[in-house]
Amino acid sequence: MNLTVNGVTHEVVGRELAPLLDVLREDLRVTSAKAGCHQGGCGACTVLVDGEPRRSCLLPAGYADGTQITTVEGLGAPESLAPIQQAFVHHYAAQCGFCTSGMMVAAQAYIEHGGTDDAEAIQHALGGHVCRCTGYAKIIDAVAAAARGDSFDLTTTAVGKHTTMANGGAE
Amino acid sequence: MKVVGARIPRYDGVAHVTGRTTYVDDVSVPGTLWAKALRSPHHHAGITSLDTSKAEAMPGVHAVITWKDVPLLEYGHLAALGIPADEPLLAKDEVRYRGQPIALVAAESEELASAAVEAIEVGFEERPALFDIRAAFDADAPKIHHWGNWYPHFEGEMDRRQIRKGDIEKAFDEADTIVQGVYRPAAIEHAPIETQVCQVVPEPDGRLTIYSCTQALYFSLGVVAAHLQVPLNKLKIVGGTTGGGFGGKVDTATETMCSLLAMKANRPVKWRWTREEEFLCSSTRAPWHMELATAMTKDGWILGQKMLTLHDAGAYARFSPYGLTKHSFHHTGAYSIPHLHFDGYVVFTNRTPTTAMRGFGVTSVSFAVETHMNRVAKELGIDPLEIRMKNANRIGDTSPNGIAYTDPSTIDTLKAIADAIGHELPADYRTMTNEPRAGELLPEHLVAQVGSTEGH
Repeated sequence: MNLTVNGVTHEVVGRELAPLLDVLREDLRVTSAKAGCHQGGCGACTVLVDGEPRRSCLLPAGYADGTQITTVEGLGAPESLAPIQQAFVHHYAAQCGFCTSGMMVAAQAYIEHGGTDDAEAIQHALGGHVCRCTGYAKIIDAVAAAARGDSFDLTTTAVGKHTTMANGGAE
Repeated sequence: MKVVGARIPRYDGVAHVTGRTTYVDDVSVPGTLWAKALRSPHHHAGITSLDTSKAEAMPGVHAVITWKDVPLLEYGHLAALGIPADEPLLAKDEVRYRGQPIALVAAESEELASAAVEAIEVGFEERPALFDIRAAFDADAPKIHHWGNWYPHFEGEMDRRQIRKGDIEKAFDEADTIVQGVYRPAAIEHAPIETQVCQVVPEPDGRLTIYSCTQALYFSLGVVAAHLQVPLNKLKIVGGTTGGGFGGKVDTATETMCSLLAMKANRPVKWRWTREEEFLCSSTRAPWHMELATAMTKDGWILGQKMLTLHDAGAYARFSPYGLTKHSFHHTGAYSIPHLHFDGYVVFTNRTPTTAMRGFGVTSVSFAVETHMNRVAKELGIDPLEIRMKNANRIGDTSPNGIAYTDPSTIDTLKAIADAIGHELPADYRTMTNEPRAGELLPEHLVAQVGSTEGH
């Protein structure tokens, strides 16, 4: 089968019945999708398959043959963050970060499907995703901000080469 | 204040949103074996036999460990603080909670490791189990440990954490009203999205590299070294990235057993708990039983308080004696109470051992004290904010363990709460500060409560 992950096509043999999550993580070393429960319950393994959020722990990899698979690695690199990534940084929507990848690709799909900054609609779109750190409010704020098309000044919320350090943080 | 209210960059924010943070499960080491545990199916049982030979003979199984493989079987999490060990790393002759590990297997695949666990033959003799801390003191209660059902090693080998302050009988004699309440918060599972996970790699120089999701890296280093009976410089722990912990990853749950398997197999070993194991076998926040009786004057002064606390430690002590001590030091909440009588017990049951969780020991007593304050206010017909402000800690007031507060924030906090909810306070409460008590706010019963803040 051919799996196209973040624009790169890989030929994978003999793993059609393995969960897509295991193939991504173990065979292709794309590790942003996480095994939170391996039962389809927590949402941490969510990836986009042809633009639709899917639980990769329950999806046999063969079903993704010939599709376009997107993970957060494919949304944007540190020096070229996508708006949803900037929004998550700006609003402190990632705390431990373990649920973040699944949350963000689901949020990306929500926005691409025309989702607005309506908090109830965002809650519905992210309803299958569990976060134990943030209490969800910051995540909903971030998705709403990205849906509105807010612009973000990350100089005070992110540490990295793409920012000007306002607080003397280490590179 | 440079941080409160400021926007501080998250050092790991960009890595989190680009999928570049490396959690333990993201570490990939060629040749890694999978670990699986044989766990107790019973809440309480004697182990009558244990035979791992069939599992060891299975092709693809590289190591099986039991209690016999552990150089130091019992090492207490707080042994360094003088709290004696009471928990074997792997069960030897008795299991005291459902899910307690008895043996571990390292094999070529997760499926094979599970099959090898199934092949281990173990015999049990079921025993009555104890789940209700209130019943632990009954003469006919099931016995959890040979010394009894509660922790006996507080200072001076007392079997409880005890606080006596002032003259409690006088306070209750002089009270207009005694208000009583019982408060019982339940166990809470931390449920981090990252389950317990560990990867251990034996290095050519004889050291072990341990990738750990621990919240307490140096603490885990000491615990692993003690069980393995090796010097600290034989272990390199890679940590600092935790996919949620909330206290539950302070316990050294996986690192030691994973290390033993890696040493025996001389192969890298990974142990990742399933979600089911995380719920069934990981530690929880403790259930507590708290009884309060408060001696009140009819105009809202707290004269004295009696409290009995039962802290459910589950099957083993772990951090519970420390948690109960913190609990006792905070048991008056944010209020100045001159006469105190506190008894707290760490009680053993056949529950999964309990541990730290967000405000270890204090969250429970805050819940009890604040719920109780509302009950007191209601019974006396006094505004719940005013009764709190009247009795609030002030500069110089002393805590249950005799520390004089230097800058207590209770009054400012309560004023901010009143503002936030639009609650109109009387003029003399709006101008109240945390300055030392004087005049009407220093009634006779509180004079002896005021200590010196010098030296703090």
